[in-house]
Amino acid sequence: MSYAYLFKYIIIGDTGVGKSCLLLQFTDKRFQPVHDLTIGVEFGARMITIDNKPIKLQIWDTAGQESFRSITRSYYRGAAGALLVYDITRRETFNHLASWLEDARQHANANMTVMLIGNKCDLSHRRAVSYEEGEQFAKEHGLVFMEASAKTAQNVEEAFIKTAGTIYKKIQDGIFDVSNESNGIKVGYVVPNSSGGGAGSSSQAGGCCS
Amino acid sequence: MRGGDVAAAEAGSPRSPDLYDLSDDSDYAAAAAASDRTVMRTDPADRGSEETARVDVVYEKERVTIHPSQYGSGRISGKLRLFLQQGSLFLSWEPNEGADSLSTSSVGVEIEKYRNLYTIKALPLSDVRFIRRYTPTFGLDYIIIVLSSGLAFPPFYFYNSGIRELFATLKQHVFIIRSDDDPNVFLVNDFQDPLQKSLSSLELPGVASVANAMSRQNSLSFTGSNDESRHGATSSMSQYSSKQKHKSNDPGRDLSIQVLEKFSLVTKFARDTTSSLFRDNSGAHAYGRQQHEYILDNKATDKHKNQYITPEKASTPSATIESDPLPLVWGKQRDHPLSVKEWAAFLDPEGRVMDSKALRKKVFYGGVDHALRKEVWKFLLGYHEYDSTYAEREYLAAMKRAEYEAVKSQWKSISATQAKRFTKFRERKGLIDKDVVRTDRSIPYYEGDDNQNVVVLRDILLTYSFYNFNLGYCQGMSDFLAPILYVMEDESESFWCFASLMERLGANFNRDQNGMHAQLLALSKLVELLDPPLHNYFRQNDCLNYFFCFRWVLIQFKREFSFDQIMLLWEVLWTHYLSEHFHLYLCVAILKKYRQRIIGEQMDFDTLLKFINELSGQINLDRAIQDAEALCTIAGENGASCIPPGTPPSMPIETDGGLYVQEDEVL
Ligand SMILES: Nc1nc2c(ncn2[C@@H]2O[C@H](COP(=O)(O)OP(=O)(O)OP(=O)(O)O)[C@@H](O)[C@H]2O)c(=O)[nH]1
Ligand SMILES: [Mg+2]
Repeated sequence: MSYAYLFKYIIIGDTGVGKSCLLLQFTDKRFQPVHDLTIGVEFGARMITIDNKPIKLQIWDTAGQESFRSITRSYYRGAAGALLVYDITRRETFNHLASWLEDARQHANANMTVMLIGNKCDLSHRRAVSYEEGEQFAKEHGLVFMEASAKTAQNVEEAFIKTAGTIYKKIQDGIFDVSNESNGIKVGYVVPNSSGGGAGSSSQAGGCCS
Repeated sequence: MRGGDVAAAEAGSPRSPDLYDLSDDSDYAAAAAASDRTVMRTDPADRGSEETARVDVVYEKERVTIHPSQYGSGRISGKLRLFLQQGSLFLSWEPNEGADSLSTSSVGVEIEKYRNLYTIKALPLSDVRFIRRYTPTFGLDYIIIVLSSGLAFPPFYFYNSGIRELFATLKQHVFIIRSDDDPNVFLVNDFQDPLQKSLSSLELPGVASVANAMSRQNSLSFTGSNDESRHGATSSMSQYSSKQKHKSNDPGRDLSIQVLEKFSLVTKFARDTTSSLFRDNSGAHAYGRQQHEYILDNKATDKHKNQYITPEKASTPSATIESDPLPLVWGKQRDHPLSVKEWAAFLDPEGRVMDSKALRKKVFYGGVDHALRKEVWKFLLGYHEYDSTYAEREYLAAMKRAEYEAVKSQWKSISATQAKRFTKFRERKGLIDKDVVRTDRSIPYYEGDDNQNVVVLRDILLTYSFYNFNLGYCQGMSDFLAPILYVMEDESESFWCFASLMERLGANFNRDQNGMHAQLLALSKLVELLDPPLHNYFRQNDCLNYFFCFRWVLIQFKREFSFDQIMLLWEVLWTHYLSEHFHLYLCVAILKKYRQRIIGEQMDFDTLLKFINELSGQINLDRAIQDAEALCTIAGENGASCIPPGTPPSMPIETDGGLYVQEDEVL
């Protein structure tokens, strides 16, 4: 399928916070609680539309376990967006955010858009991290913040699409050099009717990443 | 990989001489001797006792930093030095006193404890194989030092720049050249490449005639003595070699030469073709034809010819993905699984396995009838001795059951109040609880809510984490245990089988990932040996870390095949029949199969990783095993020497420092 842009996303955060479930909810619109734990990385993809342009999100769902970090880090390279996920019912997953962020800052693109997600907000009766704390952390670190639930699908769509919107805006503002693929953005085929946001002129074949 | 351990291992354990003893080649003898000298040299950094040797520092750089893999936010800053002593150049790296720029103090404390592990006191440059320089457009420049033993130090990040001066200084003191293939790789002490050596010294009179000679040799090893190919102790083989004049009577040595010859031929094809592959597409086709002939030449028996022309039963999805048109089937045709009747014939009246080697061979080629797995796996995993009797095994089972219950009661007896003050236990249990419900739940045996088998999985893993507290629990273990429990249908027996497997593969789950790094490194060496063009491609495209094979290796292809297939594959691997590291040959076989697509589509790291991930469920298992068998046979001793001692599933090498001891917060 043709797309105007392809964005590479990574999903990071502690094991069991619901990264794979969020991905599945976004790509397949379903919640599968007995999904296998992730070893290494898994992939998902979905088309979305922003500003009337088809955009393909290629999503890398990484393993959360600490001992795999040296490996999973190598997957950060060239991501345009990241969902940094914690579990609102488990305090420690929130406490580890700083170290995840540091990791991302060190191994990913400086322009990467990071969205902080407090997942499992359907379990608010077991909440261990308040909404305000999440908001505060995001503010301090310049992240966009949302609470979401992979189970009820609340805010899942929004989280992925809002991130894409931010990236798209960065392209429009010229922050990204879209011809440099290490930014996690690929320019796809020119779409008919596209009024051309400047970037369309350098379009090329979608290539092997479809 | 921890630098300190590497250095310790390097200095402490003398190299196995046969690591180098590939041929009579004098260069090799010299290289081996040189490295022996290196090992025997006294440690020049032992400054207390050293007066005679003057130390001249020729390069020094502050803020050369290690980012230890297991601490996301930690880094250890230190001083990198080059110094001369008694005419030889050494490299040292010493951490600074005190912690620096750490995000949290608890991490700081952790790092503090281990900073000395990374210290390199005095690494002789003669032990270095190459240094790779990384100058990312975004981020810090760093280097990776790879030793001739195949081990690598963790990356050194240069916070104050200084890489250029480092290489300039190196150039003044040691023989260092830039690699032709990759301008960022600097080869140190570039002793001649064994393959090139073998090619030039063989003076191949022409492919055709060599191929003929090879088919003769191959028929020797493939028909009469395939079983023995690793040891070469068959009559036909010694007959062959007795015609040659050799200094030693070691049949292994003769074989290794022979293998080298075989191998160099394959390599020559591969080399010839990559150059043409890059020139135009018809080159790739020529490659196909050439190899084609080669296979036919070697496999001119009717049986194999039949197999060769059998059209691939290409199921629809795999047809699109398996693009390599070469029916690269050289391995023996897969056999039927070990049957109940055959199994009975292996046992003497008391229940001893009379010919364990024949049994392993049988299983290697055909697997085991499912009804027998419960019994046979215990032998393959090393839980039962082959020469044990029925009675002994029964007794053992009873003893082990009691022992299991004893370990299990250790955590069973932890009360809720005790658990409150036992964070490590709570975390570990929490993690295991979370993971067992995410393991093979689509298999009927583990399906559904409140499945008792899932509870048993949990109990075994938690008990294991007490039984082997240092290793603890790590994700991936449940992937190994689930099929074992499914086969054994018994908690205690499953536990002991799992524990036996972890004897071999526990290092996969070490916090510092050393077991994984060792295997990925060995894999890279095997690809270099068996598919140089692919190796070069990976090198040029920054894929040499082989992280794209991480999942394959960590859980031995568990996620790549169906549950039924994985039971078959594992029993094949566990025979250790052709090689303990057959799984690595399997990796090579699969990569080789897709190399045309990988290179043709110019896959970068990301694309490759995704491609490999998506091979899951697409790989033809029998074919892959057959290809791997062929590669393993062809690589012979050369292949074995790509794999450093102690690489899992080999038993860890004994070190006083305890190379495999977990030193971190374990869960
Ligand atoms: N109630 C609720 N449960 C969730 C939600 N998201 C995930 N879960 C549960 O949390 C568990 C872990 O989810 P995963 O998606 O596998 O977690 P992960 O972050 O991918 O974990 P790793 O792959 O180990 O890194 C699953 O068993 C889900 O049942 C959610 O939004 N609400
Ligand atoms: Mg996951």
